[in-house]
Order: sequence, then structure tokens, then C-alpha cells
Amino acid sequence: MREVYIIGAAMTQFGKHPDRSLRSLGFEACLNALRDAGVRPKEIEAGFCGNALAPALQGETGVGQNVFWEVGINEVPIVNLENACASGSTALREGWMAVAGGFHDMAIVAGVEKTVMPKGTMLNVGAGEFETKLGEVFPGYFALIAKKHMERYGTTSEQLAKVSVKNHLNGSFNPYAQFQKLLTVEEVLNSPMIAEPLTLYSCCPNSDGAAALVLCSARKARRFKGQKIKIAASVLTTGTYDNERDITSWEVERRAAEKAYQMASLGPGELNVVEVHDAFTISEIIHYEGLGLCLPGEGGRLIDKGTTELAGNIPVNPSGGLLSKGHPVGASGVAQVVEIVWQLRGEAGKRQVKNPRVGLAQIMGGNKEGDTRVCTVHILIKD
Amino acid sequence: MSQNTSPARSFTSAVEWRDFEMSQSWEVIQEGLFHYPLDPGQKLALIANRCTGCGKAFFPRRSLCPHCFEEGVLEDISLDHRGIIYASTVVHIPSPAGIKAPYAYGYVQIPKNQIRIFALFTGADPFTFKPGQEVELVVEPVSENHQGQDIIGYKFKPIT
Repeated sequence: MREVYIIGAAMTQFGKHPDRSLRSLGFEACLNALRDAGVRPKEIEAGFCGNALAPALQGETGVGQNVFWEVGINEVPIVNLENACASGSTALREGWMAVAGGFHDMAIVAGVEKTVMPKGTMLNVGAGEFETKLGEVFPGYFALIAKKHMERYGTTSEQLAKVSVKNHLNGSFNPYAQFQKLLTVEEVLNSPMIAEPLTLYSCCPNSDGAAALVLCSARKARRFKGQKIKIAASVLTTGTYDNERDITSWEVERRAAEKAYQMASLGPGELNVVEVHDAFTISEIIHYEGLGLCLPGEGGRLIDKGTTELAGNIPVNPSGGLLSKGHPVGASGVAQVVEIVWQLRGEAGKRQVKNPRVGLAQIMGGNKEGDTRVCTVHILIKD
Repeated sequence: MSQNTSPARSFTSAVEWRDFEMSQSWEVIQEGLFHYPLDPGQKLALIANRCTGCGKAFFPRRSLCPHCFEEGVLEDISLDHRGIIYASTVVHIPSPAGIKAPYAYGYVQIPKNQIRIFALFTGADPFTFKPGQEVELVVEPVSENHQGQDIIGYKFKPIT
């Protein structure tokens, strides 16, 4: 397996872009990633595009060909990837495999999504599943997990709220974030109840946006003048779907993290900056535990100690996370890695973590039988 | 009852099928989860299947046991109608499936069959469902379709 480097990273502002198409958002991210890398479109040998909902929401398929052609990439292999919230990170893994496997020397990875709905309409995702027909909604699934975590470990509503407070503070330093608004614990707790114990500000918003990365082999990376970032691990796992499992953790995530640490030959103690899938406040708490940042059940106490704040020992979601930065589903996994690249290069502005060397990005996607369909973990190292 | 027709019924023309469709005043959330309406003598139950090799039960029914592959044989079983709430929540937003808030749902453990299933709760104030509580199966309307017909689903209610 060859070493793979990230030499270009870019994203659009996440938020509401009612007047822009998927193609327009994707174009902006891809063009800026190419500029960042100093690469021309004809040098790209393959393209991988993550998108989850365009067929359902925009009636559009083949988003990758539309986006990449807009920026001048055609004729080469282009693949569209759908893996729910992990669609973008799945595209990154495919791009990494193509370069690591020696099939291509330079590839582009994009994630593109528009999920902002007209006021009053709900995202009716998974409408064909019987659980959805019985009334299951995404926040409800995470609410059940939160209740179980509170029941078993004594995690409190205040600890959950602190995740949102921290991520909104980080997001206020991020010009690409959907929300630039600070929140207090009281504001999070007193916002409208969605599914007990999760309130409105415990849930990430629907968003529009795109992100892109340029990957290349070691040989091609030599001419790149900027700080090179190496992909030290790229792992994708799928759920076990044991319906009697303990829902206070995701076994699919533990497996992914373990493999990723093994692949990168390091442990959670060596991480300097982390981006996790905080679609709901409880998720971030459980990801602390799943990634080994603390012991099972200790996630609530980790946020209390301030360990995961920007100035803490292991800052988590410096970008503002999905809670503040927004969650354009298929773009989120790529945008997390864009943030890690910027952090490792020292380009993260007011939210810059102090001199990080190793970063990790984690995201999951989809529910099946009360389990998660897919989890990806990427570890990046400053070369 | 005009809608009490066997699922195996065949139609000789599209017109006859359409007339049958029009006469049926309900639909079920998904075929094969439970018997509805019940035939005389049939007991209310969720339909699962179980691997004769390893004993694992599956709901909804699977095509193959993932543990035993073709060495296992799957047989249909009726799940016990009694269960214990494993986790519950109250949803405060209307569901896209047309269920009015607030409503309660969660996971129900069926001890007899060693399986945990997703379930909507009914028969009591939605705020009162708690882990460890004993509940039993009911089959009743969950919502309405575009024609105003009932959509029949399964729920669990407290054992009183």
C-alpha cells in the first residue's frame, strides 16, 4: 500500500443556500481545493463524490459527474457514493484506496448536499422502513440512546447541553459555520423539546454545502509547496445489527477506531485534534468513549472537565461540529477532514488548536435494527 | 366483513382487483409483520422466524440465518405478546408518518423469544412509559393514508 497525501482542501460556507444548485456548491468547493493544491483539472485521474439525498430531495442522480464536469474534470473514472451521513467520508476512503492501491496518482474527493427544506416541511428520510411508518424519527432514536446512557451512567442533561454550548462557541470562530451564535446551558435546556431528553439546540440543523479534497501519491506530493498532510488510517466498518446489544455505545465505532489506531500505529493518547459526528449532543459524548478518549460511561465527566474544549488536552469539534457548523449530510464527512487539514497546517484562525500533529475524523451513517449502518474513521498526520 | 379476504386471493381482471382495492378500508404498515385481520381462532401476534440451528429469532423475518448460513433452517414463530420496555422516549414533534405529538415509543424486550423490537406505545399517558415496565401487544390504527383509510400497525400497551 502506498502513502497518500492531502494537498488540497476547501469547503463552502455551510447554511442556507436556497438560490444555489448542488452543482454550484460542489463547483466552489472543488475549484478552491484545486487552487489550494495548485493542480489543474486535467491532472486529476479519478473523482469520488459523496451525496446522500439528492435522488430523494432534488430528483437528481449522478451528482458527481455534474459537479466534477463543472470544474473541468471529465473522461476519467468518476463514482458517486451513498452511505447516509458517511457518504462523504466513504468517498474519501474510495479515493484513498485508489491512490494507496496504485491505481491513480491524483484524485479528487467531494461531498455535496442540500437538505434545507421549505419552512414547515420535514425531511422524510427512510420513509420506506416500517419503523418510520410507526413514527420513528431521527432525534427519537438518539433520545432513546441518551436516556439509556443517563440511566446507566448518571449522565445529566446539563452535560449533554455543554456539548452544544462548546460547539457553538467553536463555531462562532468559524466563518464557514451555519451558526455564529453563542448559547448557554440554560438556552439549550429551555429550547423546545424534540424527543426527550433532546431539545432543539441538542440537534444539528439541516444545511446546504459542499467540501472537497485533493489526494495524491508521495511522488506527486513532492512538488506541492505547502504543509503536506498524510492519511495515516482510513477505515470503514458496518454494523453487527444484534438487536439485543447495549445501545449506550456503538460497537461499529469501537471496531473502526481500533482498526484505525492499529493502521496508524498510535493510540488515542497521541491525538491532538478530533472531529466527531455530533448530529445530537449525546452522540459526541458516546464518541468520546467509542474513540477511547475516556472510559465507557465517562463521556459526561470529560465534557465537565473541559478536556475537549479548544484549549483543552484533546479539543473535539473545533470547527463547531455539526451542531454549529451545520450538517449537509453527504458533505459533512469531507468537511470534517478539511477542518483537520486546516488545523494541522495551522490555518484555522481564531479556532486554531495549539500546534497539532495528529488529527482524527469520525462519522457514522444510517440506522438499521437499532444499530448504525456504517462508521468511518480517518487519522491524518502532519508530514 | 367485506375486507376480510384471504391474502392468497387471486383476481381474474384488473377491474376486479381495483374493486377489491376500493372496497378495502385499511392498509397495514408492512406486509408480514402480523396477521390482520385475524382469521377465526388465530391469535394476535407478531410474526418472526427462528433459526433451528442456533435458536436466534428475527423480526421482521429474515431470508437466511447470518450465523448459520445454509446449515440453519428458518421456521416461522409467533412472538410472545408480552414484553418489557428496554428504553422509551416521548416525541414532541409530529412524525412525517402522520402521528400527532406527543407520542411515546421505544424498544421492547420479549424475554420468551430473546429479541428486542422497536415499538410504538399506547393505552396510557405517553409520559408514563418507563424501562422495566411490562407491556403487551395491540394491533390498531397508527395513522391514515391519503384516501383517509386507517394504516394498521402494532403497538404495546401497559399490562393492567
